[in-house]
Parts: sequence; C-alpha cells; structure tokens
Amino acid sequence: MALTLWASSTANALKISCASKPHLSLAFSFSRCFSTVLDGLKYANSHEWVKHEGSVATIGITDHAQDHLGEVVFVELPEPGGSVSQGKGFGAVESVKATSDINSPISGEVVEVNSKLTEAPGLINKSPYEEGWMIKVKPSSPSELESLMGSKEYTKFCEEEDASH
Amino acid sequence: MRGPLKLEVWKMGFVNYLEALKLQEKLVSDRKLCRIPDTLLSLQHPPTYTLGKRRTDHNLLIPESELKNIGAELHYTQRGGDITFHGPHQAILYPIISLREMGLGARNYVEKLESTMIELSSLYGVKACAGKKCETGVWVGERKIGAIGVRISSGITSHGLAFNIDPELEYFKHIVPCGITDKEVTSLRRETSTALPSEEVIQEQLISCFARLFGYNTVVQKENPSILSDHEEIA
Repeated sequence: MALTLWASSTANALKISCASKPHLSLAFSFSRCFSTVLDGLKYANSHEWVKHEGSVATIGITDHAQDHLGEVVFVELPEPGGSVSQGKGFGAVESVKATSDINSPISGEVVEVNSKLTEAPGLINKSPYEEGWMIKVKPSSPSELESLMGSKEYTKFCEEEDASH
Repeated sequence: MRGPLKLEVWKMGFVNYLEALKLQEKLVSDRKLCRIPDTLLSLQHPPTYTLGKRRTDHNLLIPESELKNIGAELHYTQRGGDITFHGPHQAILYPIISLREMGLGARNYVEKLESTMIELSSLYGVKACAGKKCETGVWVGERKIGAIGVRISSGITSHGLAFNIDPELEYFKHIVPCGITDKEVTSLRRETSTALPSEEVIQEQLISCFARLFGYNTVVQKENPSILSDHEEIA
C-alpha cells in the first residue's frame, strides 16, 4: 500500500499525473502478502505470468512464486523449437533442495530461451518479471490468454492462497 | 474454507528404492486428481545412493562399477538436492501432499520438514538445527543428522526426508554428502546419551512430529499398504 500512496502523493506534489508519463508502462498493484503483481500481464493459478506482445509471448514466474520458492540455484528450460502446452510442465527450478515444475500458461512453440539463467539462476528472484524471464513462445491459440487471470484477480488469488496457511 | 486436514500414513517397512519411486509417481498422479488424501510413506531402503536433478555425480567418490561390491545401488532422480545415501536404520518419510491446498510454498514446506527432524531429535535431548543458507537439512553442530530432497509437481510433493537413526555411516565415506565437503554425517545413536527404543517407535514419533507440525487433525493408517495397488500391477 505504502508505495502506491507515495507515488500518487509525490505525483501530486510535482503536479505530474501518472497517465502523462508514457514511459511508466508498468503500474503496480499490491497484494496483502506484499509481493508485486504487474498490470498488463496475465497470470496462471500455478503462479506463472505471460506478457503478450504482438506474435510473441514471454513467460516467467511471479514475484509471489519466487518468494515462496526461496533462492533459485538451478533452472531447467526446454530447447528452442520445442512446444509447450497450456497447464503442462516445460521446465523446473531448484531451490532449498526442492525441484519445482514450471507449467506453461499457454500453448505454442518455444522461440527463445533465457540462457542467462544457466549462469545466473538468481535472476528469477531478483527480477522475476524482467531479467528473470524464462521462455518466449509463439502462441498457437491466442484465445487461451482469455482464460488466464488479470492482475486484480491474481492479487486476490494470492491473498486467498496465503490465508489458507 | 478448508475442511479438516486428513493424513493417510503407509508404514511400509523395508522397500527397494525404485519400487518406492514408482509408487510415489502413482500416488502423485492420484493426489493431483484428488483420488487420495494427503499421504505419508514411512519406510527404510536397502543401501542406495541417489542423485538429484542436477546429476552431481562428481560427488560419488567410487566408480559406479564398485557399488555392487559394497552392496549398494545408484539411482538418478528428479528431486532437488545433491547426492545422498539411504540405508537400513535410516528413517525415511515421503509425503505426497498438496502444497496448494495447504497454502505452502517450497521454502515453508522444507522448513517444516527440517522442524520435523529437529523436534524428533529434541525428544532424545539432541539439539539440532536447520542448515544455514544453501545448507538445507538438519545439523547437530557441524554434523548432519537429517537430509532433505524434494520434488514438487503441480503443487504435489514427492521424495522427502531421511533421518539417521543408526545407519552404517561408513557408506557416507564414498560420497561428498549433499555436495558439502568438510562436514561429517552423524546419527541419533551417536548424538544422544539416552537409550534408544525400537526403530518402529522412533519412526512412529517422526510421523507424529510431522502430523503435528503440518496441522493434520486426522491421521489414519492404511491397512496392508503394499507397492502393488489393489487393481494394478507395476509394469
């Protein structure tokens, strides 16, 4: 909550409206568990995010996911050219002696893989929505994106999941 | 709103590693489809070395061909963690549970597995603690008494923990245990001055610690648990 209030009161003080700053392309909303959820992305209930830009969709895991995993020490990703299916595993991460399967939120062809993660798996923790991206996919059924959650829905989903603990 | 938490315990005795692995795969699949409740396998293995997903076989210090001579098997698995040894007199728990239903992430889950072994140790006056960063497991000072290696698939767990009651510690000399050099492996027998009851009692206590820490309010024991289910054969 604090950051949103700070941002808007600072904007008021500087007489800037957020809408007039076009390079501020990412807006934040906060869940009670204080992990970051970004507007403009779509989310799966297994805590992966998708950013659809033109003919390519970028996929990674959310801030909530990386926080619950702990420090990632190993990442296993598919080869470019392979295919992924909605809801099926495409790779895995290891943290705290646990390997966790990562499921694809959409179906399609893998066109690029983030090779930086081999040497620097911790990017997933440090920058889950940007440098920690995992694969880029050419979606085979763009309508699958509609079945995913938006940022508000996903924020609520995380809150409910954490409350059950 | 979640209902009462039920745990079904399978006390399996001595089980070959591969058979236990196949059983877990079947149970994970059943649990994903909600055909079974959260399930806990309690067992021991014959002498077996296992590797995790990272395949750190450089931590096996004898040639694979030698393993037969010392009466041990080697298996590659999809679990997290490094190389480890399982053998008689080491209590193993393989929880097949839904982390999503419990609202637990990997980190919290593993911490609770550590706490399970820490609590059991304390019953015998042994002060154990969780490993520091990157050293997941349970330690008594600089000596490792319990190991953890887990797989999580669509939020369902498999593999689990191994607690050294009184295994033959010589077997650990053939590996760099968990990939950590310069640290010893120990056992409950070595660390406690209390007389130990039968292993069955200790394993029962381990199960109780697990059930309590994970908040299960109903614990049932499966009658006649076996590798083969009633209707299927393992191919």
